Formats: sequence, C-alpha cells, structure tokens
Amino acid sequence: MMRLSLIVPLLLSLLAPVHAQVAGTDRIESVTLANGMTLLVWPDPDIPNVALYNWVRVGSRNEVPGITGLAHFFEHMMFNGTRTRAPGEFDRVLEAAGASNNASTSNDVTIYKDWFPRSALELVFDLEADRLRNLAFDPKVIESERGVVYSERRLSVDDSSFGRLMEQVQATAFVAHPYTNPTIGWPSDIEGWTVDDLKTFFATHYAPNNCTMILVGDVEPKQVFALARKYFEGIPRQEPPPPIRTKEPEQSGERRVVIDAEAQTPLLQFAYHGVAGTDARVPALELLLRILTDGDASRLRRSLVEDQKIAISADSYLDAGFDPGLVWLFLTLPSQGDLAQAEKAFDREIERIVANGVTAAELNRARNQVIADFWRELATIDGKADLLGSFAVMKGGHQKLADAPRAYEQVTAEDIRKLATDLLRPTNRTVGVLRPAAEEKETP
Amino acid sequence: MSARHRWIAALMTMVAATLSAQAADSGVKVPPYERVVLDNGAVLLLMERHDVPLIAVRAAVRGGAAIDPDDQAGMSSVLANLLEKGAGKRDATEFASTLASVGGVLSATAQTESIVVSGSFLSRDHALMTELLADVLQRPQLTQAQFDSVRDRQIEYLRAAKDSELGTLSGLYGRAALFAGHPYGKPAVGSEKGLAAVTHAALVQHYRQQFGADRLIVSVVGDFKTSAMKQSLSRAFSGWHKAGAPLAAIPVQPRASGRRVLLVDAPDSVQSYFWAGNVGVARSFAERAPLDVVNTLFGGRFTSMLNSELRIRTGLTYGASSRFDRPSQPGSWALSSFTQTATTLEAIDLAFAVLDRLHSQPLDAALLASGKAYVQGQFPLAYETADQWAAALADLEFYTLDRSYIDGYAAALGAVSDADAQKMIRERFPASDDVTLVVIGQAAAIRDGLRKYGPVTEMKLSDPVFGL
Repeated sequence: MMRLSLIVPLLLSLLAPVHAQVAGTDRIESVTLANGMTLLVWPDPDIPNVALYNWVRVGSRNEVPGITGLAHFFEHMMFNGTRTRAPGEFDRVLEAAGASNNASTSNDVTIYKDWFPRSALELVFDLEADRLRNLAFDPKVIESERGVVYSERRLSVDDSSFGRLMEQVQATAFVAHPYTNPTIGWPSDIEGWTVDDLKTFFATHYAPNNCTMILVGDVEPKQVFALARKYFEGIPRQEPPPPIRTKEPEQSGERRVVIDAEAQTPLLQFAYHGVAGTDARVPALELLLRILTDGDASRLRRSLVEDQKIAISADSYLDAGFDPGLVWLFLTLPSQGDLAQAEKAFDREIERIVANGVTAAELNRARNQVIADFWRELATIDGKADLLGSFAVMKGGHQKLADAPRAYEQVTAEDIRKLATDLLRPTNRTVGVLRPAAEEKETP
Repeated sequence: MSARHRWIAALMTMVAATLSAQAADSGVKVPPYERVVLDNGAVLLLMERHDVPLIAVRAAVRGGAAIDPDDQAGMSSVLANLLEKGAGKRDATEFASTLASVGGVLSATAQTESIVVSGSFLSRDHALMTELLADVLQRPQLTQAQFDSVRDRQIEYLRAAKDSELGTLSGLYGRAALFAGHPYGKPAVGSEKGLAAVTHAALVQHYRQQFGADRLIVSVVGDFKTSAMKQSLSRAFSGWHKAGAPLAAIPVQPRASGRRVLLVDAPDSVQSYFWAGNVGVARSFAERAPLDVVNTLFGGRFTSMLNSELRIRTGLTYGASSRFDRPSQPGSWALSSFTQTATTLEAIDLAFAVLDRLHSQPLDAALLASGKAYVQGQFPLAYETADQWAAALADLEFYTLDRSYIDGYAAALGAVSDADAQKMIRERFPASDDVTLVVIGQAAAIRDGLRKYGPVTEMKLSDPVFGL
C-alpha cells in the first residue's frame, strides 16, 4: 500500500500538469552482486507479506526454429526438481510455509514470482538459489510437463479463435526477427524438445548476471542483501548469451492473414510495427491507445461499438520489449458482422487521428486515466514489484519509475498525431481476419 | 504472455471473495468503521484509510440474477450494464467522458444475488463520486436505444466466449444443471435465449420493483472524513424510495443423489472441459475453517491432490482445481479441469479416483498443517487495498456476518483438528457417485465413453441456453 507521500504528486498532477514524481521511490535500494546479479528492494510494511519477482532476460525472442516455446517450457521445468530437491518439493515446501508462486514468459523475459509471509524470506532465497544453481532434468518429468504445456496451448490457442488468430498475425508480422515465434511454441516443437535442448538453454540463459530480482513488502534491504550474498553470490557468472542481431526489416506493404474457422464470431486484428520498451515515445503511444480504446468515450469504442454497432468490442495491447514489438488493436464483431465494413470504419478512425490529431480534452482524459491506473497498480506489493521490474528490465532503468507521471504529462497532442502518422500506416501493419465458416459459405 | 498456472490468480480472487482464511497471526483485523442505517433502509458503511488520497466505493443492490424472470435469464446483467449508459442529467457519452476525465472508475455487474456497482476515485472527487453513484442507482436513463444495443451486445459476448473461452464455460453449464429450476441455476451473464426474451418494458418494470433503498448497501473506504461523507451519502440516498416488490426468498436446494452427465457438443474443440459438483454450503456455514483447509488440500492450490494427479504426475492437463461458491443459501462445490479429447475418460476417472481417495484415506498430519499455513500466509494479500476492504465490508453486511467473521477466523483455523477435517470430508464433499458431471467436448468422440458415468443428456455448444 502506498504511503501518503507517494500519492500526493498524483493529486497535483491531475489538478495541474506539474512535474510530478513518484515519491517513496527514494526508499528503493539496489545492489549488484559480484556475480552480476542485480537486486532491487522496495520496503513497504503495510501488510506482513513480500512479493518477489525474479526477472530473467530470456523469452521466445531467444529461440530458433525447432525450439520455439522452449523459454516457456523452461519456465515450467524450473519447478520440477534440482540435484538436491525432488520434483515437486519446491512447491510443497513453499506452500507449507504459507507461500504461493507463479511464473510467466513473454517474447522477452521469464518472470518467477513468489508471494509469501515475511517469515519465509530465507526459505524462499534458499529455494530460488537452489533452482538457479542445481536445476536437474528428470526425463520422466519432462515428458509429463510436455503434456501440461500442450494442454495450455490447446486451451489458449487451439480452442480459442482469438488465440489462433493472434498467433498467425504475429508470425506474419515478423519475417526475420524472432518475435515471430509464438511464446507457447509450435506444436511440433512442443512434441520435439529434448533434454539436451533444455540443458543448453539453462547453461546459456540462467546465469545470475542475466537476472534482476525485485522484492517489495515487509522486508529490510540490509537483510535482503545479506541473504542474497549468502545464497546467490556463490553462483558463478556466465558468459552473456549471444545478442539478438536480427533487426526486422522495414515493412513495405500491408500483410494479411485469414483464418477460416468453425466459429460464430468474426474477428479483426491489426498489428503495427511499433517501438522498443526504452523508446521515449512509449508514453505517447500508451496515451494514443487509451484515446482509441479505453472506455466508452474512446474513439473506437464510441464510433464502432456504441454508435455504428459494427463491433461488440474494441481493445488494444502494446508489446514494447527489448526490440520494437507490435501495437495491437482488436475488434470483435457481432456474429453476423460485416468484416469489410468494420475494417473500413476502423481505417476511417485511424485516418481521422492522422489527419486531425486528438483534442486537448481527449489527451487530458487519457492522461488522467493512465496516471490513475498507474497509481492503482502501485497500491499493492504485487503491482509495485511488477512495475519496478518492468522499468528496471524493460524500460531503461528503475529510476524512470519515479518520473513516470511526468513522462505522461509532457506528451503533447502533436506528439500523438505524429506517432499515429509514423506508426499507424497500412504499409506498416498486418491485418488478421477470422472468418466464420458459415459466413464464408454465404458469401458468393 | 503465457503463464505457468493462471488458475492461481482465480483462486486468490476466490479467497478474497469468500473471506476464507486465517487472520490474526497475519495481522489482519477489520479496522474501525461506521455503520449507518437510513430511514428508508439503505445501509452505509464508512471506513477511513488515509494512506492514499483515493476512495473505493462498492454499492450492492440485493436481487441479482437469482430474481431474473425464469424465461429472461440475463435481465439483471442487462440492467447492470445499462446503469452506466446514461444516468441523471448525463447521457451515456457524457457519463463516460465525465468519469474518464477525472481518471475515475465506476462499473456495474450482475452477480447471482445482487447487482454490484464498484468504483475508485481520487478523494478530491468525492462529490462527483457520490453524484455519479446516486445517479446510476436512482436515476438511470434506461433508454430504449441503449437497451437494444446493450442487450444485443451481451448476446454476442456469449457467442464470442463460445469461440474463444471454452475453459470459462463449464461452470455455467455445471451450475445450470445442478441447480436446474432453482435461482442459482440462472447464469449471471444470462443466456442467448434469455437475453433475447428480455424486453425494454419488462426491464424498466423490473428496475422499479427490484431497485430501492431498502435493498441497498453502500460501502466506502478511503481518504475522507466520516462525518462529511456520511452527510453527503445520506443526502444523496435518503430520498430514495423503497423497492416496489418484496425480495423473493431463495429456497435451499437439496444435495443431489446419484450421478448424471450433461454432454455439451463442441465439435471443433481439441480438448474436453469438465466440471463435477454437488450442492455445498452457505456463506454462514459455521465450520468454514476446516472446510477451507480441506478444499485447499484437495483442489485449492498448486500441490493440491487434484492438481498433483492430473497435472504434475500425469501431465493430462494444464490445471485442475476445486472450489466452493458460498452465497446466502448453499451454493455449489465443484472440481474442474480439461484435457485433450483422447484422454477425456482417463482424466475424469482420475479426478473421481482422487475424490474417492479423499474419502477413503486419512489426511496426513503434516499435510493438514501445510494447508493451514498456506491459507494463513496468503490471507493478508486479500486485505491490502481500499477496494478489497470496501468489498469485504459490503459482504459482511450482505450476509449478516459480524467482524468476527474475519477477526475470529485465525483462532478457528488454528483449532482445526484432524477430526474436524474428516468430518468436513464426510459431510461436505460428495462421493464421486453423487455428482453432476458436465463435459464440453467433441461428442462424437466421447459420447459412448461417458455413458459409464451415468445417464447422458446432450446439447450443443451453439444452443442458446446453458441448461436444458
């Protein structure tokens, strides 16, 4: 929970565009161990718990054909036994101490998360260090976990119109860069990973110097750093993984991917090549997406959903990682909806922004929405750990968190118009269309 | 982003919603708050928290999907969504702009027994918050045009969910089957058929009869002065009339005996999504501490018996879990999971075998201790924010519970004995022979196999209802 001092700047920022800063960030302390591992600690004793996020700089971006999905599969294997602990013990021991955990994988990073009572701090360090140092690969467990991941793929991709289309659009939008890889992995790769693939991957990416560990909650930095030295510092540094050299070449014409599906609901997805997480234009881009899709007053919702009723939802998602990712816009149509009409209406709204920009009222609204949500995320230790880590790892340094509200305040309407002009070009996009089979049959 | 076990998040939400965990050792006590009852019956709950200049609000109007007309499932859901589409002097566009311009949040949803409006505002916008909330509840415009578009869109949302979110649907079919003909069988989101039958006139009439001050609980938590907030809310709500009709009582649904199967044919799915349950307990159930511990061990955490077998040991699924819904009368207990079509029977057999094992083998003492520690350790995370406290206070009031429901829970949990746990297993967890089983999947591939579980009734995923 935030202290009063943290939120006062927000209040000011909404009253007038002052140079607001996130206070409380002065309590954040960091250390880099001798082996290159970085720790950041943000004390917040409001509840007697701790959120730990260990960010490992590896994701599907680090995969090649044949091992797509391996970063995510590896995330699962990190819970499945070490040379000193049997498969399953990690979870059993943590849960018996009142802790829960989870993990997630994206194009860029893999994040291991623990939520625990402060009394479990040393145990958590012991367990986290053990799996980083001593991970083991039991062939039987690998086969079982392969089934788990395949089931996850069936749930989120194969049995989901939305997931299927998004996978195809991403694969089409990138012709060279490994962002083309689906994080969950292509089915044949899920079936094909070997224990040697896993061992190589671990040796390449799971080094302490490739990790940034965040702790937020009822902890003292001094104690955390002492435990970090005890448990993590002895893990040897490794050669950094090879850099991703490939840059996605400039797109020179619209791409289009169509799925004909046994479905009721037509879908449209637009993926524009965007920017990296460290790009100074990210705040403007976030505001642009708010103006397009956040709430009933936003452009696409108002026009396509509320007024014209040619879509039932309009949403957006910004993927800004280590390299320029995609700016996603999603339309869900009613079951008898007209895909061509919806696409035209969408294009008109984008053209309107490019031609005329956005109004001061829209910009002000978007700014207030994004800043208020930023503060709401900081209301929990979990949200703080997530934000702090994303700034530290993806957005050019944790210090920028303190300036985040100011970054939004400095965006002008002209910045947004220019960004829309630069990025939201038809030649810079891939359009995904999911066409229900019934509609296909009816269309001559 | 792809996650290891997304269902954990769902479980944490459930814990928050059911206030079901240990408190005292974790430092969780209900902070002081004031309860005010207006002459017209409206209840105001006010808790100051000055750590941040934000105010969380939660208003619950008793009723909800349970009182939807039988042939119009989803009326409350349409009504909830319509509340935001124009209220007081603001039409839908102005309302949305006003809200967004201050970075505020206010949204209404229909739940089984209430319509809930929840919001979050900066404390400096407290007057606007009260105005918008009062407008939404007392002066919604409920225009025909907005009604048409909201209702039609909700029908389309259900169709879209059938294309993209099969994993979320099995519980809807499950509760509709288990509570057929009972108010708890009506899906809060409605059904395509029910929604299509809702008319504007019927909805307006429903609002008049079922909305009113005597149904209202308003809970506000955050940075305000109680005296001023009390005055402002009292002024805003004291003039509201009472609901035009009495609130229908919800009968107790007896537990079902024997096993029956509902097969929902999803011919293009590659997995089967299954749910098996029976009638469980009410919110007021006194022995919830041992019940929570047992459910945590059975299907409420990652190393639960169910997830250990279906996911960790066999790799049949991405997740398997169990949960109690605890409304004012006994709700459902159910286990649920999913697996590829070819292993449907294997996974269901295994889930039933785990349930049988719960009944036949005593719980290990270390495991029981682990379950208690887990529930306790996670508990404070459910009481971290003003929003969470606003929801907690509203729930205490809604279900007529006092603060000992939270404050006294630690002691109850600490006292859970093996005998208590065994009693819960015996009395509150159904035998695998006594469950309603719902399977969404490829009927052609699994129809014959499912017959071994009991009489099979079949419907199509594309049917416009969730139950027969």
